[in-house]
Amino acid sequence: MTDIALQTRGLGVKYGNFHALAEVDLQIRRNSVHSIIGPNGAGKTTLFHALTGRVRASSGRIELDGRDITDTSDDDRVRLGIARSFQVTSLFPNLALRENLRLAAQGRTPWQALAPWRRAEANAEALAIADEVIERLALAPVSNRLAGELSHGQQRRLEVGMAMAARPRVILLDEPTSGMGIDDIEAMKQLIRDLGRDHTVLFIEHNMGIVMNISDMVTVMRLGRKLVEGPPAQVRDDPEVQRAYLGNMITGDIA
Amino acid sequence: MNPLDKPYAQLALALLTVLVLPLFLKSGILATEILIFAMVVAACNLLLGYTGLLSFGQGIFFGIGTYVAGICLTRWSVPVPLVLAGAAVLGAATATLVGWLSIRRQGVYFVMLTLAFSQLFYFVAYTFSGVTGGDNGLLGVPRPSVGGTALNSPWSYYTFVAVCFVAVFALLVMVTQSTFGRTLLAIRENEGRAAAIGFPTKLFKLEAFAISGAVTAFGGALHAMLIGVAPLSNIEYHTSELILIMTIIGGSSSLFGSVLGAGFYLLLADALSTVWPRWLLLLGLVLVTVALFLQRGLWGLVERGYDLVFRRERAPETPAEEH
Repeated sequence: MTDIALQTRGLGVKYGNFHALAEVDLQIRRNSVHSIIGPNGAGKTTLFHALTGRVRASSGRIELDGRDITDTSDDDRVRLGIARSFQVTSLFPNLALRENLRLAAQGRTPWQALAPWRRAEANAEALAIADEVIERLALAPVSNRLAGELSHGQQRRLEVGMAMAARPRVILLDEPTSGMGIDDIEAMKQLIRDLGRDHTVLFIEHNMGIVMNISDMVTVMRLGRKLVEGPPAQVRDDPEVQRAYLGNMITGDIA
Repeated sequence: MNPLDKPYAQLALALLTVLVLPLFLKSGILATEILIFAMVVAACNLLLGYTGLLSFGQGIFFGIGTYVAGICLTRWSVPVPLVLAGAAVLGAATATLVGWLSIRRQGVYFVMLTLAFSQLFYFVAYTFSGVTGGDNGLLGVPRPSVGGTALNSPWSYYTFVAVCFVAVFALLVMVTQSTFGRTLLAIRENEGRAAAIGFPTKLFKLEAFAISGAVTAFGGALHAMLIGVAPLSNIEYHTSELILIMTIIGGSSSLFGSVLGAGFYLLLADALSTVWPRWLLLLGLVLVTVALFLQRGLWGLVERGYDLVFRRERAPETPAEEH
């Protein structure tokens, strides 16, 4: 096994004639926390879409643990060990929180779920994973509530939990703290740092406090291309990055 | 969750229906027709309520079941259990084909595709009159016989269909309660997320189609044996529409709602048609009322009635399950 969990070479995505992503070379080290930053429209979410298979790469290749997954479908990639959360919360609003997580845990072995005679509760492992994630996210008091009835902060946590429940090797988090209150943000920061121990974490974030604090590596993107890459301190002081951000967004201190 | 939505409650209600219909209805034919449509509508509900797929193709599968019974029984006298099994298999196969092509599109385009297939199959049946009897249909479809006696009296055939109905309904309850059924709900809720957590959603939709098609064709075969004819009208677009209307009237949030929908429609049609020849007009008004004021259908009404009676500790009358 190589030290690189996820890698792209010359990755590009075109929407019509528009190059949303071009020539992106990424190397995500195993069990590291790697963040992607960049101004709006930099192609960060598109990069995630391409990595998870939601959109097809129009050029380049994607490798997971050295295996080419460029043409692998999105649901197959989950089984290979990639899971993601969404920037815009995307849950099953009329299902209970616990059921959301049970489904996410079941998603790794979807063929089982094709059997119309098998009871959902028969998959004890999925239930155990759901409960474990509930515990870890401190959502136990609301585990039987419908996902759509949860507060925004709870929904954002559940959103991350959905990715965790798949027990992925690589976990992709798209702006996990968007719209969160200060207390929730701190908890999320701890969580992401924790996740880095047993997973490889790749996350998009605008909150520089989090990015600069917990990332092992930072990739800055602009206009669909990779601008700079390096450890947080180096990226923060890079003049090109300062210019891309108009100099005023990177203010987070390194703890 | 309302206790009436629990699987055993649903099953108990279905059993109750089977036992109660003969007490209230004079016509065994009408009672049998209600049970046949009840299972067919429940199968439609598996697609509409559980998977979020509005299929105009249910008449195709119903018609195919009808023709399987018609052809096998009038030409080759195949044993009835084989006919029913054959209808279900062919129904599932056709539904898989129609589904496989239709689920490539979503929303309105999906609906239009099922509608197009419905027309297509109608004209196929109409054109190959050598096989299907064309406009005349296939006449003289015999009733099944049990232990050497043909079930020629309406109520003896009712018993036969009732057993089939309870079995099929139990099967559908099992499907909706299974991990498969719960994944269908997830797909209905948010297909993109369902795919993102690893479910091959098309395959699940296809299986829902296959199960729905099998049950619908099974019901079609029972229907042909009921009326003694395999008519062209069973594969018409109108049959698809009828099944959908019953599903919507009954409410798509529970399987028993479909039984209510089928019962309500057929009983109302029976009553109104003796009163006024233009009764379909009144039925239109009923549908408008349901669409405007009862979006959860008759089942929503039942749930509300149950809450009124039991949750507020009023006199424990029987829950309002009558239409």
